[in-house]
Parts: sequence; C-alpha cells; structure tokens
Amino acid sequence: MARGKAKEGDGNWKKFIWNSEKKEFLGRTGGSWFKILLFYLIFYGCLAGIFIGTIQVMLLTISEFEPKYQDRVAPPGLTVIPRVLKTEISFSIADAKSYQEYVAGLNKFLKDYDPDQQTSDMVFDNCAEKPEDYMNRGEFSNVQGQKKVCRFKRDWLENCSGILDPSYGYKDGKPCVVIKLNRVLGFKPKPPLNDSLPPEMMGKYNPYVLPVHCFAKKEEDVDKIGTIEYYGMAGYAGFPLQYYPYYGKLLQPKYLQPLLAVQFTNLTYDTEVRVECKVYGENIGYSDKDRFQGRFEVKFDIKSS
Amino acid sequence: MHIIALTILRYESTLKIQGYRLWTIKSLCPREEREKSKVPGFKYEVCIGLTSARAAEILARDGPNALTPPKSTPEIIKFLKQMVGGFSILLWVGALLCWIAFGIQVAQGVASAFDNLYLGVVLALVVILTGIFAYYQEAKSTNIMASFSKMIPQQALVIRDGEKREVSAEQLVVGDMVEIKGGDRIPADIRLIFAQGCKVDNSSLTGESEPQSRSCDFTHENPLETKNIAFYSTTCLEGTATGMVINTGDQTIIGRIASLASGVGNEKTPIAIEIEHFVHIVAGVAVSIGVLFFIIAVSMKYKVLDSIIFLIGIIVANVPEGLLATVTVSLSLTAKRMAKKNCLVKNLEAVETLGSTSIICSDKTGTLTQNRMTVAHLWFDDQIYSADTSEEQTTQSFDQSSQSWAALSKVVTLCNRAEFKPGQENVPIMKRVVVGDASETALLKFAEVILGDVMGIRKRNRKLAEIPFNSTNKFQLSIHETEDPNDKRFLMVMKGAPERILERCSTIMINGEEQPLDRERAEAFQTAYMELGGLGERVLGFCHLYLPEDEFPDTYPFDTDSMNFPTSNLCFVGLLSMIDPPRSTVPDAVSKCRSAGIKVIMVTGDHPITAKAIAKSVGIISANSETVEDIAKRLNVPVEQVNKEDARAAVINGMELKDMTTEQLDEILINHSEIVFARTSPQQKLIIVEGCQRQDAVVAVTGDGVNDSPALKKADIGIAMGIAGSDAAKNAADMILLDDNFASIVTGVEEGRLIFDNLKKTIAYTLTKNIAELCPFLIYIIASVPLPIGTITILFIDLGTDIIPSVALAYEKAESDIMNRRPRHKKKDRLVNEQLAVYSYLQIGIIQSIGAFLAYFTVYAEQGWLPNTLLGLRVNWEDDYYNDIEDSYGQEWTRYQRTYLQWTGYTAFFVSITIQQVADLIIRKTRRNSIFQQGLLRNKVIWVGIVSQIAIALILSYGLGSVTALNFTPLRVQYWFVAMPYAILIWVYDEIRKLFIRQYPGSWWDKNMYY
Repeated sequence: MARGKAKEGDGNWKKFIWNSEKKEFLGRTGGSWFKILLFYLIFYGCLAGIFIGTIQVMLLTISEFEPKYQDRVAPPGLTVIPRVLKTEISFSIADAKSYQEYVAGLNKFLKDYDPDQQTSDMVFDNCAEKPEDYMNRGEFSNVQGQKKVCRFKRDWLENCSGILDPSYGYKDGKPCVVIKLNRVLGFKPKPPLNDSLPPEMMGKYNPYVLPVHCFAKKEEDVDKIGTIEYYGMAGYAGFPLQYYPYYGKLLQPKYLQPLLAVQFTNLTYDTEVRVECKVYGENIGYSDKDRFQGRFEVKFDIKSS
Repeated sequence: MHIIALTILRYESTLKIQGYRLWTIKSLCPREEREKSKVPGFKYEVCIGLTSARAAEILARDGPNALTPPKSTPEIIKFLKQMVGGFSILLWVGALLCWIAFGIQVAQGVASAFDNLYLGVVLALVVILTGIFAYYQEAKSTNIMASFSKMIPQQALVIRDGEKREVSAEQLVVGDMVEIKGGDRIPADIRLIFAQGCKVDNSSLTGESEPQSRSCDFTHENPLETKNIAFYSTTCLEGTATGMVINTGDQTIIGRIASLASGVGNEKTPIAIEIEHFVHIVAGVAVSIGVLFFIIAVSMKYKVLDSIIFLIGIIVANVPEGLLATVTVSLSLTAKRMAKKNCLVKNLEAVETLGSTSIICSDKTGTLTQNRMTVAHLWFDDQIYSADTSEEQTTQSFDQSSQSWAALSKVVTLCNRAEFKPGQENVPIMKRVVVGDASETALLKFAEVILGDVMGIRKRNRKLAEIPFNSTNKFQLSIHETEDPNDKRFLMVMKGAPERILERCSTIMINGEEQPLDRERAEAFQTAYMELGGLGERVLGFCHLYLPEDEFPDTYPFDTDSMNFPTSNLCFVGLLSMIDPPRSTVPDAVSKCRSAGIKVIMVTGDHPITAKAIAKSVGIISANSETVEDIAKRLNVPVEQVNKEDARAAVINGMELKDMTTEQLDEILINHSEIVFARTSPQQKLIIVEGCQRQDAVVAVTGDGVNDSPALKKADIGIAMGIAGSDAAKNAADMILLDDNFASIVTGVEEGRLIFDNLKKTIAYTLTKNIAELCPFLIYIIASVPLPIGTITILFIDLGTDIIPSVALAYEKAESDIMNRRPRHKKKDRLVNEQLAVYSYLQIGIIQSIGAFLAYFTVYAEQGWLPNTLLGLRVNWEDDYYNDIEDSYGQEWTRYQRTYLQWTGYTAFFVSITIQQVADLIIRKTRRNSIFQQGLLRNKVIWVGIVSQIAIALILSYGLGSVTALNFTPLRVQYWFVAMPYAILIWVYDEIRKLFIRQYPGSWWDKNMYY
C-alpha cells in the first residue's frame, strides 16, 4: 500500500516537472510562464526604478564635500605605518627579507611625501616650518575651487625618512615606525593642557603641537625598550596644528597629514617588547573597545642573528 | 450472611467467545471455599467466598482491577520530540556549524571567534526554549484531560473470609463474591448467581438505552447477550444481585474495548500535515539557497570557513524560529475561546480539524435531542393538537377549553406515579428532578405546566388503589376519590398501549360527551394512532371510568390482585404522544452545517421511524427530500424499481448495513446527501466512519458510550459528550462537548475555519520578512558589502518584535461568512500554497528588502560611505588590522569605528524591517477585502501587536544599544522613518492587489495573487 503510494508520488513528481499531456513545465504552460515572467519583469523593473529613485533622493540630501554625520569617526584613530598583521613587528637583523615587507610598506606610504610630489604651488601652500595654529580655509564647498594644503617634507623624518637609510633602521636593528592621526573631516585636534601631560613630555611642550608619546606597555618591558627617538616637524614629537582641519578628498585631494617617525634605537633583542604610542589632546579619546583610538600598540620581536 | 446455594453449578457451560475468559463457578469456588449449608434442611454446599490470603494471591497474579491507562509516551520522549521536530533539526545544524566555525577560528586565533560560539549557544537556546514552550503547551492541554480520567475511588461490597466487607474496587479479584444494589456501579465483570429485580444500564457499553434486566439465567452464548453477566462500569439501576467476579481490569469487556480503541492508530491531524508541509517548503528553501550560496561562495574564492558562516546566516534568516510557537499559541487561544463555547479541546491541533470537517456523524440521543421524553402531540375530540416541545416551555397554547381535555388532563395527572423531588419549587418545571420513568416524567411535567400543582391535585383526589405498569398488562391503572365532595363516585383512570386501552373501551369522549365507540370512531382512532406513530413518537392511550356509587360505596375494599372492579367497557379519553424532541438550537445548526458544505449523518440505535422523524425535524433530512422507500410509496412501485439516484435521503437499518459490502456502503455515502443510520450497533459506527474516510472526507464523530471509543479514535476528530459521555469515550475523543449540544459543534467548526484562515495570515506575515533577512546575506556574499544585518539581530526580529503581532492575527475576525463556503479540501486547499509563498517571498518580501536596504545605504552614506564605495569593500572592512580605511570623503576609520557603524547598519536594517512589518501586519488582516472594509481598528490586539513591536525595537535600540553582544546601537531618530515610504508602498500595493482580486474574480490576477 505504502509502496504503491510512493510510486504514485514519484509519478506525480515527474509529471509536475514536465506534464506532456498538458504541456506543462513545473505546473505551468509556456503561455502561463510567459505571463508570470512578464509580470515579474515589470514588477521588478518598477521596484528597481523605485529603489534607484529613492537612493538618488537620499543622495541629493548629502553634500559631496562633507559627510552629514561623523558619529563615530571622531575622535580619530592613531595608525602606525607599516601596517602589520597582528600588530607585531618581527624580523631578524641578519635577514633582509624578514623586514622587507615593513620597508616596502613605509616606502609606499612615504612616496606621497617625496619633494617631487609637492612641487605645485597651485596645490601646496607655503606653511610655516614650525608649529602654528589651525589653518581655516573657509566653507566646505568648491565655490573657491580646491583648497590648498600644507607641505610636509619627508626629510623632517631624518633617520626614518628613508632617504639616509633606505632600510629605515631595520638593518641595524633600530626599527622606525611612522605614526599618523587618522584623517577626519573638519576635525581640529586640541593640544592638551600643559599640566595634564606625563612629566617626561613636559619639556617639549608647544601649544601648537599635538604631542605623541611611546612607552613600554608592560612594566617589565620598561628596561627593554631603550631609547626612543622622535622625528617630526621642527623636532617636535607630535602633529603641528596648521595641517588641520582636513577638507576632504574632493577639496584637498593632495592633502598630506602630518607625520611623526619614531625610532627605537636600543631595543632588547630576542624577546617580545610591547610598545604603546599615544597621542594626547583635549578632544582625543581612548576606548577599551577600540584599541586604535588615539593610541596603538606594537609588539617588537627582533632576532639578533 | 448471604447464603449462595451451589445449585447454580448447573449453569456449568464455559463460554468461550472471542477469547473472553469465562470461569466456571466450580473452578471459581473450589472445594475449600465451600461449606455445608447451615440452614437446616438445605442440603447443598454454599460458597463462602475467598479468603483474604487467597484474594491477595490472585491480586498479585492478575494485578489490580483497574484499566491500564492508554500507553502514554514517556514525558522525556515527548520532550525530546519537541526538540527535534519542525525546524529544530535545521537550527541544531546551524548551532553545530557555529561551534565548528568557532573551533576552527579559535585555532586560527581570529579575534571575533567568540561571536560564533555565542550564536551557536543562542541557536541552541532558541531550539530548547521553543521546545520547552511547545512541550508545556501540550502538557497543559493534556492536563485538562487528567481531571476527567480521575475517577472517584469506588467501593465494592465483597464477601471475604465468610463475611461482608467494603473494599476498594481495585482490590477485587477473580472469584470474589460481590453484592450490588440499585445505584451501584458494577465493580467488575460479574456472573450473577443471585438476582432480584435487577436491572442494569448497559448503554455505555452497547448503546441500548433501555434498562436491561439481569437474572441468573444463562440465555445466550454471547457474553454480551446473556442475562447472567453484568459488566464492569455499567450501572445497576434497581434491584439487588450477588455475583462472582469473572474478569477484572483489562480482561473485562470494557477493558478489551478500551484496548481496541488504543489499537486504532491515531492519524495525523490535518493541521499537523499542513504544518509539516509548510516546514518542508521552508526547510527546502533554506537548505537549497544555503547550499547554492555555499557553492557560489566557495567558487567565488571565499574561504570554506567563511562560506560555512554564510550558510549559518542563510539558515537562520530562512527559518521562522518563532512561527511554530506562534501557531501553538494561536491554536490554544482558539481552544480557549472554544472552551467558552462549550467545546473543550484536548488536542490543540483538533481545533483546526473541526474547521476542515466535511462529514459529521452525530448521535441522536442527547446530542440532537434533549434526551428527555416530552409530550409532542395530543389527540382528543377527534383532532390532533401539537404541544410545545422546546426546552424552556412555560405554557401550552393548544385549545384547552374542551371538556374532553379536562377529563384527559385528569387521567394524565392521576394515573402517574412519577413525583417531583421535594424542595424544587423555585426551579423551572422543565429542570426539576423527577423520580419516575421517562414517559411518566414527561406526562408529569406536561401536566404541571398546564394545570400547575399536580401534587396538590393528586392530594385532593386521594389514590385508593393502583396497578403499576407491567409488560404483560401493558397498562397502568389507579382508582381515586374525586375532589368534588358532592360526587361520591370513584374515578378509575388507566393509561397504556393505545390498542390495549381501546380494547377495554366501549365509549369515547367527544367534546365532553361520552359517545359509543363505533367503527367510524375506532377508525378515526386508528388513523390518529398511525399518524402519531409515523412521526416516530411513543403513543399512549388514556381512558377512565366513574365507578357507580351504588356498586362501589365509600368503604369498598379495592384489591389489585383479584381486580375486584371493572377493567372493561371504559370510556376512551384521548391519546398523548411523546418524543425525545430535538434541541431547539439544532435545526439551525444543521442548516448552518449544510450551508457550510458539511454533511450531517445521523447514526443512532433507535428505531428507523423515530430516527427519520427526528432527522426530518432537525433538517438532516430536508423537508422535500425523499428516501427510496418514499418514492416507491409515492409512485406505487416496488422499491427495487426506483432509481436510487433520485432519492436524496436514505435511512439505512443496521441490519441492512450488516449485509453490505464496502462498495455498497461507499455507493450510499456518495449517492445520498442526507443519510440516517438507524438501529446500528456501536461497532457499525466504526464501519461508517471508515466508509466516510474512504471518500477523502474529514470526519467528525460524536459519541458517549465506551463502545464508541474505537469510532472516536478512528475519526479525524472524535467528539465526546461531556455530560452523558463515559470516561472511555472522553479518553478516546479529541474534543469534549461540555453541553452535549450539537449546535456547539457548529460554533466549533466556525472557530476552526477561522483559525485556519488566520494561520494563513500569520504564516504569510512571518514568511515575508524572511526574504528581508535573507537578501542581506546574498548581497553580502555577491557584492561584498559590509554585512547589512547580523544573525543575532535576525533572531531578535523572529523571536522578539514579530511574535506578538503574529499572534494578534489569530484575533482577526472572518472576512466573509466562513460558514457559507465548502469545507477545505484536504489535499487541494493547503495552509501554505504556492500563491502565498510566492506573494510573500517574491513580492512583499522583496519590497521589504529594498526598503531595508535603503535604510542601510542611507546610514552608510550619511556617515561617509556612499553606496559605490561599499561595493567590494568587505575584505578590507573586516580586516582587524586595517585601522585607516578611507571612506568616500577621505576620512580614515579604525576597525572598531567601522564595526560600530556596521551595528548601526544592523539596527537601521532591523528597524526598517520592523516598520515595514507593521505595514505587513496591517495588510495581512485581510486576504480579499480592503482593510477599510474589515475595519482598521476593529481588532484591538493587532494594535497591541504594533505597539509592542515598536516598543521592543525602541528598547533594543536605545535601551540595550550599549550592550556589545547584542549588536544594537542607539539609532538617530530619522533613520526610523527611512523605510516608511516602502511601508506605505506595501500597503498601497496590497490594496491594489485586493481590489483587482475583488473586481476580476477568476482572472489571471485572482489565480496568481490570491493566497
């Protein structure tokens, strides 16, 4: 009984796919399929039109020069170059290949900072070569055409500029990293008040510089970290304010954000050393959930042989 | 001490029928349990019953005298079944995949690995919680039953160790001697060895409603027929008896029937089949889309692990996790509503079964009728009068001015032994409890209604002598003083079988005058008698005689044994006919059934004429329908020559049914729309039910007796009577009619149909958003955009915002008169049909998806990521160590900032689905009518649903927005309104769809768009 039924079911199934009597495919005749497909063609055509229409309307409400909201992008993140997997810089002094990746990353990033990239006076402004106050360049619109940007000279990074030492110190076991503050449109970082800084940074205080400081993340690493050299504009370990605010990709396509190079000249080899770099400012925040907001962490593991 | 002589040993034959164990008295009463009779001159041995020790021994061997309850599945199995049924398997697979993914990711040191662990746990929790919920619901409805099966512990009077003692009936063993008396329930199957005027009510067993007399005589080979066996669970109505227990517990006839009933397989309910069908569709879609995209993902060079995670997402998005719980809640809400209307549903799914019922096989007595004799017609003065037979009669409106009526009423009042139980003065007459048999009760109440104070009349007409009714005389007689103090004559009143009464009469009263009973008069009597008898009514004749004062002085000693008074040449007064009248609500209910396309078949043990009369009066046989016999009579041809197809109605006798082949029965069930089965044995009910089921009908069967239980089990929905029903019937049934009223079934049918329609709406509502949950994954895989909605968020829709609204649809009123359409076809009218799935998935679902995508793109665009930058962004976007990805404006984002934005996207997508589900909920209120025809505000629960939906969304976004694990963020207010245009579009589009459906019925649009 059950078997008979199953057989019948099988027959129905086959019949459902192609019913030769009624010339039906999947329960519909050709004409019926044509009608239903035509319907869905029109239906989805209309829907696509409506969707594109509503997206266009939505885009009309958005300026192409500045985002409507910056709910999360500020306070900005602090990024380290070279970008490294699992934030670990690990290489062997003897093996050039082991640090090639980092060197390439730095080279690629610093290319935009080459002097020959900054020749046009139409694009680049002659900003002072010492820290100054914010440089307001008017409205976020192209009424006055594109906005000029400040030059940032690669050689300000000295030993870490890659000009003197194409290996950025890696071949000597004195690795450089370049630090930048993530770009955020219209963001004006405020330097910290003098007394809120860690004591070791007080000396180099400048009201137009957003200071950066690197230190050992863990107490036991304090001795291993050795000397840290900072190379930035006019020798300040931080970001000068005249580069802010940023006016966006369209108005400042050639924008160069201020950089700070950090060289660890006396790291202990053959052990993991965890370093944290932090940027200080009144409107710079840190978060437990976002470990790259206003700071970052790098783990060095340099093999001496 | 009762002495039972062993003379009974002469009934030694051992009956062996169908394996029923009948013990010989000799073997039951072994030598050591007999002793010489102490009665002087009595030479036989007597049986002194078992000793306690022996009884204990047998008890240990046979077990207690109780029916083993039907084998119930162990609770743990029931629970586990809930854990693997429906979508659970699919979700378990999802959870398992999650844990596998977690394991691999942990090994690889991926930071977000724990998300998968949590998701797996959540999925498992969802399955377990919905399982527990379903189990709890089932247990709750089973508990309703538990109260029924709880029986009051019964006591039995048994002779043990030579003395009488009360023991619990469960302790009875084979061989015990028990005594029973009127009013007792028989504690086991008993072979009587002594009986005095013993009558039992076997109706629960055999369906015979007449009391059966019991004696020690072995009268039949069949244990059911023989007079010397009384059966377990029947009642002794009057008299006393002593008997020996011959079978206990499951070995009793009742026990065997009960086990027969549990042997009848419980078929899957129609709604269970529908839900299975639906689960198959959804699971099929989920698995095929999942596998398809798994392959696509793998061939797009995604990592296998990622592809597995996509697969999980697709499964979760596709499975309506909350739906089965919603269906259960909707069914139990309806069950509650039905319970209020006197239909107690034991098995939740039976709620819907009733709605798809196409044939109802109904009992007559008690269900269609009031289950009490009532005077229906009177004949006096050569004329038939009808009496009011409704339940609540307070007056009778026929002509009461004639002197004949006065005389008749006096006979009716006086020649009656029935009495009201005292203390019921304030109870309506019809509801008062009466001591007396059914006919006398009817007459008493009839007289009380018209004359009032019958007891007073009887007191004033003091009764001097009386001969009660017996089956040889077939009359009852009494002699009274008259209430007129000047009239010294005695009045003799008599009632009985009309022909016997007439025999004794020489005159007849016409208009108060005594006239000779000539041929013409006698013929008039015959005509009236035949006519009333033809109505299926029980007719009684009444006559009286004033005894002449001179022959019968005050002090005359009336002696009923010698009958020293005249019993012939009396004066005939009139006829009264009685019937168990139909309940007043039944004709209406039957016609409702008819317009609802439900065939009502009457199955009764009664006489065909009575059955047909009742069938006609309630409309089971409609006024202008004829049976084959009627046609034959009208055309004056033999029955065989009548074309059977001309007759709409058929009255089938149980004897005819016995000789019928299945084909013949099928033919009858197909050819006749109005069928009455009369004089059927309860066993034949099962045959009739099976016959109906062969016609692909969904059959509802009503029953009350134990013997009905196999039929109740066999039926698609068995309906037991709450008042008259036996426990066995209630156990076998799926539903219990608390008021035994057929009309309640009809309201049940209505509720059942409504819930089917509403479940359709609920499912359509629930399925729609599955597409809106699924599309994000598909787009995510194909276009590599940041994930628009997370798996956890999907669960919050399925099990959070959507639950109350989908239950609210169960409260929706019917769109049109659901009782005016045919019952749904089991195989053609599916709960989830192609149109429903296609319309929900491919139309509304797609609109909803693009509405939600609009919100998604809006959030990203306004925060800096224009739509074109999103395409192909996925790999970088999800790179944990890429903390300076540029957006459309050149701003750089850290990973966490992106993740937070992604969550905002989830929340916006979630909110948009919720907002559009509000529109979806509103459009699902109707399938054909405009929302404005249905009334936007009529179903308040819908609005509760909408408010709850929005409130839950608000709480999730603003209240729990800071809980990282939930992936919600406090959303900017305007994002709540982004999908609003699409919500309105959904509403407008659906109104247009319904408008076209109404405007062009039968058109291409109607066929493809109506679900």
